[in-house]
Amino acid sequence: MRNARISDARRRVLRAAVVFASIFFASFAETRADEGEAFFSEQVEPILRKRCYECHSHAARDMQGGLALDWRKGWETGGDRGPAIVPGDADASVLLRAVSHDDPDLQMPEEKLPDEEIALLVRWVENGAADPRSIMPEAAAVADAGDWWSLKPLVFPAVPPFAGDNPIDAFVNERLAREGISPSPEAERRDLIRRATFDLHGLPPTPEETADFLAEARPDAYERLVDRLLASPRYGERWARHWLDVVHFADTHGFEHDAFRPNAWRYRDYVIESFNRDVPWSDFVREQLAADAFYPESPELTAALGFLGAGPYDHSAAVTAPMSFENLDRDDLVTQTMGAFVSVTANCARCHAHKFDPISQEDYYALQAVFAGVAKGDVEFDDDPAVAETRRRWTALKLAAENRDAATLLSEENRSLVAEWEATRGAAPVWKPLQVETYVSAGGAELKRLDDGSILSSGVRPEVDAVVVTGTSDLTRITAVRLDVLDDESLPMKGPGRMDNGNLHLSEFELRSFASGGAGGQTVKIKRASADFDQIGWTSQLAIDGDLKTAWGIHPAVGVSHYAVFELGTPLAIQPGSKVALTLKQLHGGGHLIGRFAVTVTDAEDLSLSALPIDAEAAAAKGVADRSDEEQATLAAAVLKVRAERELAALPPRAKVYAAGAAVENERGVVRLAEPKSIRVLSRGDLDKPGDAVGPGALSAVTAIPARFDDAAASASESHRRAALADWIVHPENPLSWRSVANRVWGFHFGRGLSDTPSDFGRMGSQPIHPELLDWLACELRDGDGTLKPLHRAICLSAAYRRSSANREDLAAHDPDNRLLARGSRRRLDAEGFRDAVMATSGRLDLTMGGPGVQHFSTSPGPQMTPKVDYDGFGWDSPGATRRSVYRVVWRGIPDPLMDALDFPDLGLPAPTRNFSASPLQSLALVNDRFVLHHAKTMAEHVRLDREAVADQVREVVCRTWLREPTDEEAAPLTALANEHGLEAVCRLLFNSDEFLFLD
Amino acid sequence: MNAPRPAAKAASRREFVGRAGGGFGLVALSHFLGSEMHADEAPTSDLNGGIHHRAKAKRVIQLFMNGGASPMDTFDYKPELERLHGQALGPKEKPEGFTGAPGAVMKSPYKFARHGQSGRWVSEVFPHQAKVVDDLAFLMAMASKTNVHGPASYMMNTGFILPGFPCMGAWISYALGSLSKDLPDFVVLPDARGLPYNQKANFSAGFLPARYQGTVVDASDAEPIPRLFAEPEYGFARGDADADTVALLQQINRTHAHSRADDSRLEARVAAGELAARMQLSAPEAFDLSRETTATHAAYGLNAPETLDFGRRCLLARRLIERGTRFVQVWSGPQGAIDNWDNHGDITKELPPIARSVDQPIAALVQDLKARGLLEDTLVIWTTEFGRTPFAQGSLGRDHNGGSFVTWLAGAGVKAGATYGRSDDLGYQAAEGRTYCYDLHATVLHLLGIDHERLTFRTSGIDRRLTDVHGHVVREILA
Repeated sequence: MRNARISDARRRVLRAAVVFASIFFASFAETRADEGEAFFSEQVEPILRKRCYECHSHAARDMQGGLALDWRKGWETGGDRGPAIVPGDADASVLLRAVSHDDPDLQMPEEKLPDEEIALLVRWVENGAADPRSIMPEAAAVADAGDWWSLKPLVFPAVPPFAGDNPIDAFVNERLAREGISPSPEAERRDLIRRATFDLHGLPPTPEETADFLAEARPDAYERLVDRLLASPRYGERWARHWLDVVHFADTHGFEHDAFRPNAWRYRDYVIESFNRDVPWSDFVREQLAADAFYPESPELTAALGFLGAGPYDHSAAVTAPMSFENLDRDDLVTQTMGAFVSVTANCARCHAHKFDPISQEDYYALQAVFAGVAKGDVEFDDDPAVAETRRRWTALKLAAENRDAATLLSEENRSLVAEWEATRGAAPVWKPLQVETYVSAGGAELKRLDDGSILSSGVRPEVDAVVVTGTSDLTRITAVRLDVLDDESLPMKGPGRMDNGNLHLSEFELRSFASGGAGGQTVKIKRASADFDQIGWTSQLAIDGDLKTAWGIHPAVGVSHYAVFELGTPLAIQPGSKVALTLKQLHGGGHLIGRFAVTVTDAEDLSLSALPIDAEAAAAKGVADRSDEEQATLAAAVLKVRAERELAALPPRAKVYAAGAAVENERGVVRLAEPKSIRVLSRGDLDKPGDAVGPGALSAVTAIPARFDDAAASASESHRRAALADWIVHPENPLSWRSVANRVWGFHFGRGLSDTPSDFGRMGSQPIHPELLDWLACELRDGDGTLKPLHRAICLSAAYRRSSANREDLAAHDPDNRLLARGSRRRLDAEGFRDAVMATSGRLDLTMGGPGVQHFSTSPGPQMTPKVDYDGFGWDSPGATRRSVYRVVWRGIPDPLMDALDFPDLGLPAPTRNFSASPLQSLALVNDRFVLHHAKTMAEHVRLDREAVADQVREVVCRTWLREPTDEEAAPLTALANEHGLEAVCRLLFNSDEFLFLD
Repeated sequence: MNAPRPAAKAASRREFVGRAGGGFGLVALSHFLGSEMHADEAPTSDLNGGIHHRAKAKRVIQLFMNGGASPMDTFDYKPELERLHGQALGPKEKPEGFTGAPGAVMKSPYKFARHGQSGRWVSEVFPHQAKVVDDLAFLMAMASKTNVHGPASYMMNTGFILPGFPCMGAWISYALGSLSKDLPDFVVLPDARGLPYNQKANFSAGFLPARYQGTVVDASDAEPIPRLFAEPEYGFARGDADADTVALLQQINRTHAHSRADDSRLEARVAAGELAARMQLSAPEAFDLSRETTATHAAYGLNAPETLDFGRRCLLARRLIERGTRFVQVWSGPQGAIDNWDNHGDITKELPPIARSVDQPIAALVQDLKARGLLEDTLVIWTTEFGRTPFAQGSLGRDHNGGSFVTWLAGAGVKAGATYGRSDDLGYQAAEGRTYCYDLHATVLHLLGIDHERLTFRTSGIDRRLTDVHGHVVREILA
């Protein structure tokens, strides 16, 4: 074919005219030109098509560097580098230079063409580059962005007329009638209760529940069953796992350093609680993407941000290859977010415009920009809202005190806090001199005790020093130590320091206690330091921060005495003969040493202790009535800062969740991103080929909503970017989101969505079998209260859901896969369903909810961060071992062998659906795994206690697993097996029976 | 096996697997169970077991040197390094994925000599492989897209630098099914000292059904196939009790399936149960190395402590492929900083022991396969996840380098003694004939009778391939 692709008839006519004209007017054209065109069409164009069009054609909707190679004009005009081809001059043709890979800065395509192909291109150019393609091709069909089912506006479809009260059946039955298929009757009650209970709880019904349901005479028995199931917390545990698959949540990093994330579980609990509370879907989306932006008043929702940390993390690359790591980590977040919430494979546009869907590279990188301000790691939060409120209050007051915010400090509330302090301060604390026994300067200064008990440093002035003082006290306990640094005529500028300017720097104040006659001593923790004066940037608190580079100083208030008070973490009991030793490290250098000092101690109570700055002390000395506002604010700033710090220290420690944020803690320490990284469109996804910068945004194909988040881009907080994406997703006019969740819910109920590619509604995905039904479900969700339980209820109550799964010969040809839902679809239990059912039937299921995960393995140190993980030795009687499977720790790179055999997914990628497989290795795992054998044993032991006759025991274990009595034909060989090899053998068999493993 | 023949419907196997999750047609049964019942694209005897063209190879043993085996200290002789030794010629800034800034050029401390008819340069760390070089074909300029172990290991195993994709063994198992119903299709033999980087994710079936994943076998275990038998403490699941229970189970499941004849998954379960029983009978013999002669033990290095572990696993690999396992992967070295090929600290101290631990067993494996005629239709691959820098790390180590490294292939369809590609004079970057994992994978699939562009599985909107959108068969090394 010589012509470029032409799509409509008009163009075809036009083209015909052009061809005709060219033949007519060029009738004397040389034969050689025709040959050239034939050569082009037969030899050259296929090469261009295969090697170049991906990035340089209208069909690919991609013209990188502005260059199109799919028509003559394209290469004549050329792109950023000018004309790509100079006919007749191979050396001057950029295109040939690029394909030859001779120029290290211009090598295209990435994989060098075979030499034969390059030779053909050279020959074509040398011979004049004949190219008959004179008409600009149209962009591929995907340019018609909105013309695709999932992107069409979502409007309530008309419900077909029907006799019944469930519109779902109206849609399903109407289609069946059209196809001439009759629906199957309702399933037997035993199958119904099993189906609904596994579906909504992931557990079997108990034999008692089954018997009650079979006996229930009321017409609404099934409806009551569904309502009961939906009201139970077991529902959230079951449906949370579906969502955790979709977002590839696991408890470890994956990759080379597959480290444990001890705080990941809080997100799992959040998801369970959210399903149980039936949070509206739009809230669920907003919370997971940007709880911090939407709900700052509800810090407990921070756990929802675990969504952002659900996927894998390549610790090694994060350290050694940060550029590529960050790019791919954001890519994973884009993949996860867009797949999970809008069923779009946006990640396919990382290297080039999406091949099948209307997603440009700009859209893709705009999505990356949404996440450009976060890093993965632990995020701290208060999981108790009351604690959060308290923390917020005192944090604000501390800040007001530090900033000397007079308006706040002089408020009625804060005046009364100051008054409270004055009332409790009472008399000033009594400071008793430490009875000094020894004092020594490590730096070699001469220390001398003066008559007043103070110690003066003189003689050689070392560069740095550490002074150690030991002594005792006759107090029975010490709550604080006070260090007075004193002025003295002998010191420069009268001291109190030995530095030329009179300053000193106390790098660290350390205290040890020695029991009577004891050696070694114990470090005494100092909880707070305060001083009457702090040099700017050199506060007394820095003398107890463990950092030898920071210190307390007093410049420029030299020439007068100062003091600092060091409050002990807990009071120190002083027995007769016990001693204390304090070390005054003065390591700043340059002679920043203490010139003269005295040490006193007190047993006064906490509140009255902290040193007040000089001006605050002066204000305190006046009566409240005599103080100016200025003085009151000064006092309040000092007093309330201490109070706020004390209150904050008393709060319970903050919870953590493994998530992502602008400030997180991970193996690399505290990671802070001051601002989002600049995101550029990468040509071919190559980090070495950055193009234009893009701001945060989403898909342009959703035309009803702005696709770029300009306000969020301008915002100081990166969280507004995530919030903007959440708003874009839950926007009522976003047709993707509501169809996505409705389809997902349907899919988990039926084992298969109406579209059976639940994370891909694009052209490579499957089109919904019942598009109107899907739209009806989506509209119900969007236009109702947005909660899922009414949707579950409508689905579970539909006749379509309740049909018998019995074989239908007539469907084998017509609808073998049961896409039209004429009958029920049989399902195998998933990995969790099997495990939980084994524990439930053997009577060992522990229904404790929430909290850190249970490890069904032991770990031992590995060569690096990944430990050795051993599933084989786990004791199935150990605490928590029989909790529901959703609470187990999922090690991303080292799967549980039993779960693995039952198709638990590889969570390196999002897993919107579970596979089904059957293999000899799976069969071996099911018959021989210790978990199965252990529970076969315990069930047998348990049943033997209650029933004496073996036949009765067999009947009991059959009733538990199959929820029915065995037939005589079944009972006889099972009883024989029990007699021969024990009831355990029968239990093992039943756990492996397909009647247990599958749901009719 | 009495499973029904698939309908004549001309749909690819992949489509049926692609619909996993519910409602299978009869044809799907073939996927669950084996190779002999595939619809189209099934291995056929016309194609010698291939599915797209005539296969040269039927099975593969891959030897994976975990950590990044140094090319310029093993197979890639670089005299220029001696001349430039000590000169600071490397990149000024630390490249992505390097663990430190590159130091000066460092020559190899090992002597190189030419070997065999082909005159192949091999360093003194591989005296045994030097004797079989004429059976090997070398890719001398393989490259990786990353200098980081995790992603690079994913790349060499799955073709992607991200987790979650199926590895080559899983793809091959998916494409060709089993040669034997008595053994797993795809067996992984990790180093006794531990799993490689990425743990078991290197052997994952990714989004393919779980049955295609690698079966990890501890070669030193008395019962190497996990869960082949119940542990002794569960007497009710051993011996006669096991046999009687499983017989009745199969009967009950068969009855259950019979009344639900339209559901091939139930038949698949029954058939899988039968195969499991056969595996119980066959596997112990396959794993029993005591059946080999003392001469064979000695040849593989089972008598020397340093070669015992790798030698045992090479010998086991031969026994498995001899009995029908399709793909065996043998790992050298665990993850971590020691006992593997990640020689950052001191190439003179760290390389010799790990090289010695594999050298004799590998040569023995090649010679043994050849002597038994197995090399005719068995492909052996020696590879690693990336190379190492010609620049010193510290004073005597070498850092990660995806720029160029060496892979060799031997056996079925491979042109013995051939070479493709060349690294630059320092051995730092590929200079000519650069190959990526895509090309290696395409070549391996080609030899197995599979067109790498036509072996696909649709997931999340993409027809995924082992070779992504890349890959050229390296015909230069094919016979």
